[in-house]
Amino acid sequence: MDESEDVPKDFIKLKSEKLSVDEVSELVISPCCGAVSLFIGTTRNNFEGKKVIHLEYEAYMSMAETEIKKICRDVRQKWPSVRHIAVHHRLGVVPITEASVIIAVSSPHRAESLEAVMYCINTLKASVPIWKKEIYEDEYSWKENKECFWANSGK
Amino acid sequence: QVSVLYFARSAELAGVRSETLSVPRQITALQLWEEIVKVHPRLAVIRDQVVFAVRQEYVLLGDQLLVLQPGDEVAIIPPISGG
Repeated sequence: MDESEDVPKDFIKLKSEKLSVDEVSELVISPCCGAVSLFIGTTRNNFEGKKVIHLEYEAYMSMAETEIKKICRDVRQKWPSVRHIAVHHRLGVVPITEASVIIAVSSPHRAESLEAVMYCINTLKASVPIWKKEIYEDEYSWKENKECFWANSGK
Repeated sequence: QVSVLYFARSAELAGVRSETLSVPRQITALQLWEEIVKVHPRLAVIRDQVVFAVRQEYVLLGDQLLVLQPGDEVAIIPPISGG
């Protein structure tokens, strides 16, 4: 096996097609790793009693990719044994129960990849310029993550 | 001349997704916001909720002095909701 094929890699993709858990987990599998940890964010069908028809996502593409790369860099500093990181986020219309985001991390042992996945999704929600619009039956609403440090002023 | 990008609610209020704007090379973030609101007064309602991204770095709407180059990208960033 050619060792250079297994250098740590970040796989970042923003796309409007349906996300695949198989695809994302296969990206991070590595012969040196005994653990692959996964987070899947799926769309709920309700919010505060209102029926959600579907979600729509938009992104500041170039900056979103840059911010996700920064998250990957931070992950590698905090958990140096982490091997590969994959972050796939869907854009455009996402129907109920489908995935809007899949994050996968591989590491030799499970603690690091589990912690790194949690860090990735929490930090993504705080810093990556992606916006979600919830479409209800009669109206819609631009959501605001509670992690967003400049939102909720005065609330 | 800078490129101004609008996203989410700010794009709905401004009615555009991007445009060029002529601004002084040196300007505070707050002054830049005022210039943008002159062009799109409906944006005033979200003033307390947005930040800028200047050359893809977040900047709060305050007294920070921005040194802009022609062609720089300035984005209006409403509260984010990724993930």
